[in-house]
Amino acid sequence: MPRIELTHITKKFGKFVAVDDLNMVIEDRSFVTLLGPSGCGKTTTLRMIAGLETPTEGVITINGKVVFSSEDGIDVPPDKRDVGFLFQNYALWPHMTVYKNIAFGLENLKWQKEKIKERVEELLTMLKISEFSHRYPSELSGGQQQRVAIARTLATGPKVLFMDEPLSNLDAKLRMEMRSELKRLHRETDSTFVYVTHDQLEAMTLSSMVCLMKNGYMQQYAPPLEVYRKPANTFTADFVGSPNINLLEGVITSANPMVIRISEQVSLRFSATTPISITEGQAVTLGLRPEHITIADDAEAVAQAEIVSSLPSGMETIIALEMDGKKLHSVVFGDLDFEVGKQVGLSFAHGQFNLFDQKSGNNLGQGTLSKA
Amino acid sequence: MSAKSKLNQVKAFFRKPHNIILVVLLVVLGYLTLVPLVTIIFDTISVHSSEVRFIKKPAGSLTLYHWTKMFASGVTSQKTFYEPFVNTMVVAFLSCVLAILIGGFFAWTVTRTNIRAKAFISTVFVFPYIMPAWTLAMAWLNFFRNSRIGGAPGLFTVFTGIETPNWFAYGLFPIVVVQGLHYAPFAYILIGGILRNMDANLEEAAMLLHANRWQIMQKVTIPIVRPALLSTFLLVFSSTMSAFAVPAFLGSPVRFQVLTTQMFRTLNGMNPGYGYIMALVMIVIGVGILMLNQWITGRRKSYTTITGKSSNISLFNLRKARTPLTVLLVGILLMIAILPLFSFAVESFIMAPGDYSPSNFTTEFWIGLGRADIANSEPGILRNPSIWLGLSNSLKLSVIISLIAGTVGMLSGYAIAKRRGSKLSTWVNNLTFFPYLMPSMAFGAIFLSMFAVRRGFIPALYGSFWLLVIVGSVKYLPFASRSGINAMLQLSGEIEEAGTIMGVGWLKRMTHIIFPIQKTTFISGYLLPFISCMRELSLFILLVSPSTRILTTLLFQYNEKGWNQYANAINLMIVVIVVSFNLLINKLTGASIDKGIGNN
Repeated sequence: MPRIELTHITKKFGKFVAVDDLNMVIEDRSFVTLLGPSGCGKTTTLRMIAGLETPTEGVITINGKVVFSSEDGIDVPPDKRDVGFLFQNYALWPHMTVYKNIAFGLENLKWQKEKIKERVEELLTMLKISEFSHRYPSELSGGQQQRVAIARTLATGPKVLFMDEPLSNLDAKLRMEMRSELKRLHRETDSTFVYVTHDQLEAMTLSSMVCLMKNGYMQQYAPPLEVYRKPANTFTADFVGSPNINLLEGVITSANPMVIRISEQVSLRFSATTPISITEGQAVTLGLRPEHITIADDAEAVAQAEIVSSLPSGMETIIALEMDGKKLHSVVFGDLDFEVGKQVGLSFAHGQFNLFDQKSGNNLGQGTLSKA
Repeated sequence: MSAKSKLNQVKAFFRKPHNIILVVLLVVLGYLTLVPLVTIIFDTISVHSSEVRFIKKPAGSLTLYHWTKMFASGVTSQKTFYEPFVNTMVVAFLSCVLAILIGGFFAWTVTRTNIRAKAFISTVFVFPYIMPAWTLAMAWLNFFRNSRIGGAPGLFTVFTGIETPNWFAYGLFPIVVVQGLHYAPFAYILIGGILRNMDANLEEAAMLLHANRWQIMQKVTIPIVRPALLSTFLLVFSSTMSAFAVPAFLGSPVRFQVLTTQMFRTLNGMNPGYGYIMALVMIVIGVGILMLNQWITGRRKSYTTITGKSSNISLFNLRKARTPLTVLLVGILLMIAILPLFSFAVESFIMAPGDYSPSNFTTEFWIGLGRADIANSEPGILRNPSIWLGLSNSLKLSVIISLIAGTVGMLSGYAIAKRRGSKLSTWVNNLTFFPYLMPSMAFGAIFLSMFAVRRGFIPALYGSFWLLVIVGSVKYLPFASRSGINAMLQLSGEIEEAGTIMGVGWLKRMTHIIFPIQKTTFISGYLLPFISCMRELSLFILLVSPSTRILTTLLFQYNEKGWNQYANAINLMIVVIVVSFNLLINKLTGASIDKGIGNN
């Protein structure tokens, strides 16, 4: 069973450190996304596991077998690692027909002609591209090329599938379609998927585990909803979720009961639900998910704010607010519109809120908010 | 539609500068490339004044004499046309194969392996191409000439005592080797570009699907680069086919004739009609090659593969072969790029050719006043007024041509890119590229035939400096227009439109927005015509007169007279000017001929 393990993986390009001391375990049959802004080392990590790039240091094992070790000088070539790789630009061979593209790997494995035909047709049907089998890649649309690339990768039945931003060249509608397709394929092929993206929505919706990276460092490695609910630091909190989380800077004015002063007028009481250690006068950052900020009447309101803009999209409305000089975003569900310039009361009665240390950005703990 | 609205349409059409450029180019280039074609056809079927005696018809009357003599007159046709034709094809084909093998190998090594000294290799490898074509031919003679043909033996024979056989010293073999080496950099630039742009993911995908290195090469890499490789082959072929200087230097001692040398003989001799037919044949082949090339690059399976991240290219690890291979390649480069220059320097200081003892060294040919017993008391080249005239003519000509070709090329690139897809733009595009296909000497012949007499308001230009300027500007326009089009296609139209909306005038948009952004590409458009012109012989050789002679034609004359020392000295001068100019421009602006192949 393919379980992938990375220990102390480091990759340097000259002086530039692309990946720094990465440790992670990719469980069998999981769907792991490597998520982060461009240049964070996610593609490099993927290429190192696949064997296309040689790590500077560290050990990689696939299925208990060491495929790379800088100390023992082991470096198993990519074709012996039994992995599939889906490139961002598909990398379809322009001089071969769709059929030839898909059959290529099987021919290299010296399959019999009839068996190849059978397998290719199975894949063509599975990916709904049978009618294109004799066309050349340049005669296909982006979405069709994408399917051919997937079929080609799946043909040899690799137990691990690597994907490097496979959907980034597609339009929004196709991307939605392919997302559910990929999830279906993951279930049907019974294999491990490792997926690189910079799109947090893709990571959230597709994967069973998200590995968030920044500047070559792993920031958090957890299931997507856990990353959403309990971000390890302000970076991961900010990277995941749309509209972005509201990060309010404040100071602890009292440790017990814990009170955070956000601004001149606004102070909030934080009741910890997890063990937390803070000191009086500590600078903190409070994370408020937009859906946890609600418009309330004066009785429930813990703060006052002015509506700066209202962006209704039918299912929900995103409101920009200004609370005593601090900017906030809130999401209200339903087809509502709000009057710009109006003063409203805000309530933070629902949801768990994360408190971060302002200096390190690390998560201090969770709790609920009420009027100070 | 009323007459007024039609008039308004025409006005609106000409209010756009790119339309004006296209129309002007269409008219001027049409006149300078298509009309001459008609006159040259006429020249093949009319009696020329020098031919009156044996054709026995008045000059200017129509005749099929040339055609029948050339193609259907037994031994005469065999000697004047078929033999040189076959020689031309054999030479072109073999030197082309050699150029692609050498250039391709260097390109692959520089772009795909971890060889050392890439920048050095890339810079120096282009030298043979920048240097005049006959540089290597002269070097070959300096080293390997033998005394069987007459004259003094070369360095090789003097030092080893081995007399080089004729086949090795003259004729087909050295011509192929020298042309192969001369055009190898050309193949290197083209193939290097292909390899550089080819998406490495395509090869990686094959590797992941269990293909080994050999299978990847055979099933993926080569098929993908094949169309581009073929088109490289055709471009090099058309260049080697129309080469004149090398066969003239290495072939004439053993009477090895190709079409160009034959054309030179006949046009300068008694039978210009033959020469014009040969020019026509070469033009037809050239156009045929272009059409073949367009067919190859326009097919269903053809593709551009310029995607992917170039940083992803995983270099082939040469391991133990790394240092030896580097040394080998650098050694070859020194031999073909640096050693010839030494031989020129040495030869130009030697009194009696073939004697390399210290007492035989002299500065006579550089600074001597001229002695009655040597070379008709021709003064040394630094004191020689005709050399100074040639040098100043050469520089003047190259500068003017590069300014005209570069500017027109830039404007045409701008206009063609602006109206891309329209019929007008396609025509002008083809017209600007057409001169590239014309063999230089045939092109010179066309202009000779066209402007020898007064045409409308244009006076008879033969013997005038401006004839050289016109022919050179048109001939080198393709270099400049290619880089102009490339520069413009990389630039999004909005950049200029942003200026238009703010009310910036066209001239200011060109000089303040477009030119500065694509500076290096445009400057290459000026650099290439300059360098090509400095070392051009075959294009001008039919057109120069004593007052308009240039360095290259002088060199050719000295060489024909057997005054080797002068020829070597002039060649050294040309090479130094061209190479240092190229390096200077490269340093100042970053524009260079080998742009972007070696520096990764």
